Amino acid sequence: MINTEKNSITSMQFIFIISGIQISVAVLSLPRKLAEAAGTDGLLALPLGYLLNLLCGYIIIMVMRKSSEKSLYDTLSKTMGAWVAKGFSLLLAFYFLHLMYDGLVRAILIVKTWLMPNTQGYVLMILLLFPAYKIALGGPRILGRYAELVTVISCWLPFVYLFTLKYAHWLNLLPLFKDGFLPVLTAVKATIYPSLGIIAVFILYPYLQKKEKAVSALVISNSITMSVYIFITTICFIYYSPHESTVFNDPIISILKTIEFRFIERIEIPFISFYLFVFSLVWIPCMYIASFCISQVFGLSDHRFPLRALVIVLAIGTFFYLPTYNQSDKIELWLARFGFCIEYILPSLLLVYLTLYKRFHRRAAS
Amino acid sequence: MRRTTIYVCAILAAASIFASACSDQLYLENAATPLALGMDLDKNDKFHFYGTVPVFSKNIKKKSQEIAGTAESLRQSRSFQDAQTAGTIQGRNYQVILLGRRLLQQEDWFAMLDVLFRDARNTITDRMIAVDGQVKDVIYLNPPDQPLMPILLRGMVDTKTKRSETYSTTAQELHRQFFDKGVTPYIAEIKITNKQVQLKGSALLNAKGKYAMSLNAQETVLLSILQKQADPGFSMSYRIPGKPLKGPFETDMLSFTGGKLKTKIKSGYENGRFTFDIHIKTKIGLSEHLFPVNVAQDAKKLEKQASALMEKQIEGLIQKMQKHRLDPIGLGVYARAKQYKQYIKVEEDWPEAFSHAVVNIKVELSIAAMGPVK
Repeated sequence: MINTEKNSITSMQFIFIISGIQISVAVLSLPRKLAEAAGTDGLLALPLGYLLNLLCGYIIIMVMRKSSEKSLYDTLSKTMGAWVAKGFSLLLAFYFLHLMYDGLVRAILIVKTWLMPNTQGYVLMILLLFPAYKIALGGPRILGRYAELVTVISCWLPFVYLFTLKYAHWLNLLPLFKDGFLPVLTAVKATIYPSLGIIAVFILYPYLQKKEKAVSALVISNSITMSVYIFITTICFIYYSPHESTVFNDPIISILKTIEFRFIERIEIPFISFYLFVFSLVWIPCMYIASFCISQVFGLSDHRFPLRALVIVLAIGTFFYLPTYNQSDKIELWLARFGFCIEYILPSLLLVYLTLYKRFHRRAAS
Repeated sequence: MRRTTIYVCAILAAASIFASACSDQLYLENAATPLALGMDLDKNDKFHFYGTVPVFSKNIKKKSQEIAGTAESLRQSRSFQDAQTAGTIQGRNYQVILLGRRLLQQEDWFAMLDVLFRDARNTITDRMIAVDGQVKDVIYLNPPDQPLMPILLRGMVDTKTKRSETYSTTAQELHRQFFDKGVTPYIAEIKITNKQVQLKGSALLNAKGKYAMSLNAQETVLLSILQKQADPGFSMSYRIPGKPLKGPFETDMLSFTGGKLKTKIKSGYENGRFTFDIHIKTKIGLSEHLFPVNVAQDAKKLEKQASALMEKQIEGLIQKMQKHRLDPIGLGVYARAKQYKQYIKVEEDWPEAFSHAVVNIKVELSIAAMGPVK
């Protein structure tokens, strides 16, 4: 069912796909959410979230190591039965659809607010879906190459933010732990939504060329994500005054408006257009993974048909209904809860089950 | 089969794109982009807006068109603004925002600028400039020997900011200053004298935005030094006491150019009051002294005299600011960073707490160069 040889991905591609799903649209509102939870201390929650992610990533890799079959789906159908495996795939499909829809809607709303307020949402949706469909159709290897390409062409983005350092107020960051440790812990909650996406390992692991390097690859991808988050959050906190950080919906974009060059005014316009590449790293892999999971549920030979159906439903659906900003915030809130269960709790349960099953099975065999 | 689906999709997409995707396009001929926005109150406290729109046409001698009117708010007035020009008004290119004195005498006028931040297509790097007088006079001035008013003002403010003689406070920066409870806002100030626009220095506003006091160029330099914003190359002049005056000339004048500044600010809390020790250290180059002095011998004495004069002026400045309940230096930010427990109790009314604070100033100038003449 899976042709892993033809579609294998390198560790580098694996790293960039995972980081891409994590960063994408979530980075935009992260500084505001951290500031809402703990003021400038929100920055300190990021390393804690990082440790949590490393633990969760390690558990996910352990689950994949324990599953002796080619893919997790095969292992589950062997140990728990076909119907449980199908249910599991359906759950994953729902989750990735949720992740994808959230990313798409956010991107469209941002384009509508900042670039083209009078253009219809469904037009933007169709324009975004075209390249997404073509890339998702290609499978993991094409996804990996796309992620690599986007990373390479967008690695200059952080440097532009250095221009705001001219107006930096480093004292805004002090004092650390101003209201004790508790607000920092509550701010860890805000780091969950921007960390979602590690679970894609469940699907991508079988395609990975060097499976023994999976752990280090995951550590690297989480480190990339976290360093981007720490960088961006620091920039926002030293630029905006502490009570101001919570005022801007997407501080990452708002801060761009304040950068002035001699040759271009309002650099946020080319920036947001370029950012669409970065945003696309969430919905394109998720689109592939969701349609792949659906094809497993229905026992189809490949993911083409579900993908087509998905694209058409999305295009037509957006014509009738596009969530508003507030609704998109709600979607995000639910996604954070859903994601916490799927990414942080479910893998641990699976690991416990698989370990117990193996021990039991071996004893029964001997 | 696969190819046909793609074709069908492509045709559908092309149709939908051509049908409606370009609803955001705007021809330059249909746009009027005001470069300046003015806000003021008239005698009856009615809100007035002003704008200067550049006119691009060979046959028209006057290069700009002025629009004006009364309104309840800026965006509400848009149709009225549109009605005065050939194109539709776009707020995407404001260079300066002028604030009349009468408007600044009110509190909470900053809320009127909400549209700048809420409509994502508006610029927020417009320079905020206070007008000592009426905005009307500046907008309708149109001197024949100068560039368009907004360009003139923008250039005036930006270049003088490099010399630390005023502030090119942008709308976003003003937003930050209003939201930061440990600092009070400061903006550039201009005045019309003899039908000429003149830069006065800077205007200090209180925490709610009400005009409190003005600073001249030299005082603004001192404030920039305290804020650690002054770039090397700022210039100061003092009259050295005890030097002889000859004729109508003030020959006791000493001017110097400052080098890279080392400003250290230490904060503390003693007996219910905040204390700040500010230590300013820099190397200066003499740029003129109208009295004879042997720099090689008397450098130390001159350094001391200049330092003492500067210290005295800064102390006077700080006393004035404390009297007006102002903290444009942002000492509140230092108090927040270092004395958080005490600061958080007075955060809501920091300027009041600052007015009771003890501020010690120490200036240390050292002469590094005397110029090519002895």
